[in-house]
Amino acid sequence: MMAESRNADIAIVGAGPAGMAAAVTLADAGYRPTVFDMNAAPGGQIYRQLHAPQASDAVMGKDYRRGRELLDAFLQADIDHRPGSRVWWADNDASGTALGVLARGQTQRWQARQLILAGGAMERGWPFRGWQLPGVMNAGAAQILLKQGALVPSIPPVLAGSGPLLYLLAWQYLRAARPPALILDVAPARRYGEVLHQVHRAWLGRDYLLKGARLIGALKRAGVPIRQGITALEAEGDTAVERVRYRHKGRWHTQPSELLLTHFGVTPEPQLARSLGLEHVWHAGQQCFVPRRDATLAAGTNLWIAGDGGGIGGALNAEREGRLVALSLLENEQRTTAEQRREGQALLAARRRDLEARCLLERLFRLPESWLDDQSAETLVCRCESVSRGELDLAITQGGAGPNQLKAFTRCGMGPCQGRQCGESVTRLLAQRLGGTPDAVGYYHIRPPVHSITLGELAAREASRA
Amino acid sequence: MKQRDFLIVGGGVVGMAVAYGLARAGQGVTVLDESDDALRASRGNAGLVWVQGKGVGMPRYAELSLESAKAWADFAGELTERTGIELEYEQRGGVDLCLDAEEARSRQADYAELQNASRYMAANFRWEYLDREALTSCLPGLGETIPGGTWSPHDGQCNPLYLLRALYAASRALGVETRPATPVERLEATAGGFRATTPQGQFTAERVILAAGLGARQLASGLGLTAAVRPVRGQVLVTERRPPGGRLPTPQIRQTASGGYLIGDTHEDAGLDKGVTLAMMQSLAEKAVRIYPDLEAARLVRSWGALRVMTPDGHPLYETSTTHPGAYNLNCHSGITLAAFHAEGLAEAIRDDRLEQSFPHFSGARLHVSAS
Amino acid sequence: MFQRLDTAATPTRHVQVWLDGEPHRVAETLTVAAAVLQLRGWQGYRRHVDGTPRAPLCMMGVCQECLITIDGCANRQGCLEPVAEGMRIERQGGDIHDG
Repeated sequence: MMAESRNADIAIVGAGPAGMAAAVTLADAGYRPTVFDMNAAPGGQIYRQLHAPQASDAVMGKDYRRGRELLDAFLQADIDHRPGSRVWWADNDASGTALGVLARGQTQRWQARQLILAGGAMERGWPFRGWQLPGVMNAGAAQILLKQGALVPSIPPVLAGSGPLLYLLAWQYLRAARPPALILDVAPARRYGEVLHQVHRAWLGRDYLLKGARLIGALKRAGVPIRQGITALEAEGDTAVERVRYRHKGRWHTQPSELLLTHFGVTPEPQLARSLGLEHVWHAGQQCFVPRRDATLAAGTNLWIAGDGGGIGGALNAEREGRLVALSLLENEQRTTAEQRREGQALLAARRRDLEARCLLERLFRLPESWLDDQSAETLVCRCESVSRGELDLAITQGGAGPNQLKAFTRCGMGPCQGRQCGESVTRLLAQRLGGTPDAVGYYHIRPPVHSITLGELAAREASRA
Repeated sequence: MKQRDFLIVGGGVVGMAVAYGLARAGQGVTVLDESDDALRASRGNAGLVWVQGKGVGMPRYAELSLESAKAWADFAGELTERTGIELEYEQRGGVDLCLDAEEARSRQADYAELQNASRYMAANFRWEYLDREALTSCLPGLGETIPGGTWSPHDGQCNPLYLLRALYAASRALGVETRPATPVERLEATAGGFRATTPQGQFTAERVILAAGLGARQLASGLGLTAAVRPVRGQVLVTERRPPGGRLPTPQIRQTASGGYLIGDTHEDAGLDKGVTLAMMQSLAEKAVRIYPDLEAARLVRSWGALRVMTPDGHPLYETSTTHPGAYNLNCHSGITLAAFHAEGLAEAIRDDRLEQSFPHFSGARLHVSAS
Repeated sequence: MFQRLDTAATPTRHVQVWLDGEPHRVAETLTVAAAVLQLRGWQGYRRHVDGTPRAPLCMMGVCQECLITIDGCANRQGCLEPVAEGMRIERQGGDIHDG
């Protein structure tokens, strides 16, 4: 006997900048969207804890504070906000999208006439030897600790990888008077010169470039050593990280350290969109799969994706896309005013310019596609099931010809993270070994549960049993 | 290039077991398989090597299942020796649970009838009905509301995915050519054999074996073979790894070698939809917790739907074309249990072209008779 | 380990939690995983099913490396559960229930 379904005219999954902006725009137009969010408070990862900031503005910088206006608007609007709710199952049918939601230990079934996915991004799983050791954390995770409780490492960490977040976190630690021991940047120094030669993009992206230059300048002035253009990275230690090894200018170096914070860019969090069977395409610039969206950011009938979950554009773009999908939804309902249509056009133009400028960042922080190939064979690709690159290679020679066949042969991607950490590595490896594009190789089948749920929670249906 | 002896259409566990058997017997084999995201019963099944319940209404199928189960230990050992891949096979007996009194009654009646109809089963098929009290020694922690179940020492389990991998590895080591992402669009007879047309080009061989599961629906009739198979969806849940529970496998739920519990045994007609439904997932979770209450705290890590391949009467089809000699059609939904037989007796019968003579009960004729 | 900056921006209530049987006070804004990283660091956080030591990687519900026992329930995602007054937290050092 099924529990009765609850109805949502408009459901939004995620209360980061995209989800909040969509909800606020819809609320302004007289709708009352239902917003499901995993976290206890709105803001997503980028504006986490912004309603009661822990670290000071001086440490966090102005980009964090910038979310305040949106957050306040969200908190004040008439929105059915459901924090602590995990959407672990979704299925399209003729009448919209059915959602399985886990809240306070119970499974609720929701029926949403229209759905906006605003699940955001996750840090890219990027294997290197020793990355499973305690003491290796994502830089984003360390920044979450800073936002959540003004927590900073008690020892100076090594920061390694590629992307703006690496320098932002280093700068924030510097502002907190806890500068990192060393920064290892995969991007070679000459790239910075190369991107400046793309004059048009460099002009469009001048804000990004200036911000980066300011952060790097501050770190250099403070005497934080920065090695640009490292070509390999390893973490070593017995039960936790003791040393970081890296290759720079052709030579290996060892840095004693108990904490290695890495960042290799972000990718869309794919599970819900994948489990809905939405088509994904490989984005060469962003080096990841992104769901296919049309010009209105729709990914299906009555289904939109806004923000980094649809392709990486950053927090401002996510907010813009949240407004855009809300306007697109209103347009569908024939509820837009002329002014809103003009606003939509302006938002689209701004988005175009911003994404064009972001190509600079993609170029600057591009990761070597051959990285996995250069790792030692014992490097874990799947952390959950402890499957190494070498084991995957063996299974490929035995006939593992696709991601799902390889998963079946090795358990790679079968663990509780459901392939989030290894999925694109497997696609890359297969593309390289068998010769083919990531699009031709494809990706794991993703099925529910896309979030953790116990059998008891699944069996415990809400009320009204017949 | 020399023409191959056999083309096998379908790289699932049926096609690969026969490919392995034929290659071991010195035949040149090319396997044409579909793409990575095709409908795949071989990657969705529960991994039971199971005799109970098979062949009710067709004793020869029950006999074949029992024979194959008995051959499984040697079969698994040989594959492991050839490939180094452990199949996680064990035969410690199994229990088919009866969830209510009526099921307990009809189950026992079925088995008695089967043993009446087959002298071989009467002599060799060992089973016993155990009530809840008696079951708790082999199913520790069994829930209070389960009345009992039938136990049989012949039943066991394996990791079906590692079976498939081992069949691939062993076959390829024996010279079998496997062609992934090469879906067969057309099959036809040529002067010297058969030709398969695929987006990857044409492939020819003297003989052709359809082991295409539901794909037979498109390919069989052109060669005078039976196309009547239908999908029956099963949904499966898998939990995170749990401490070893020392519990015998059941078709309803079993703990795998890696520690996860696999929960299934649903049957639905859902067309070609291999999705999972919230209602069925919830009912599976309820059933699992009813059988083993301690699983209430176990996290679900995966679920899937897979399509069983059912012939009209549910029994295996081993068919030789009368209009196109040299073309065969293999279809069944118990490709794991029967794998030992498929690699051995079935592959030999095909090699010697005596499929109808050796296994007349499983030919397509029975279906055509009943259809007319 | 991680330390709380003494220049925190907003006055924040603290709650008492029990970690491996010992009482501690932590900011109520933390999740369980964050509290453990502050109180004990990443060493000894969890033992994985393959026997290797593991600790949180992502802190945002993706990696499943932060599994921990909360109020007697094993394998909860520590990075998604906010701390609460009186909560009992046990690190999964390696017996059963490894993820």
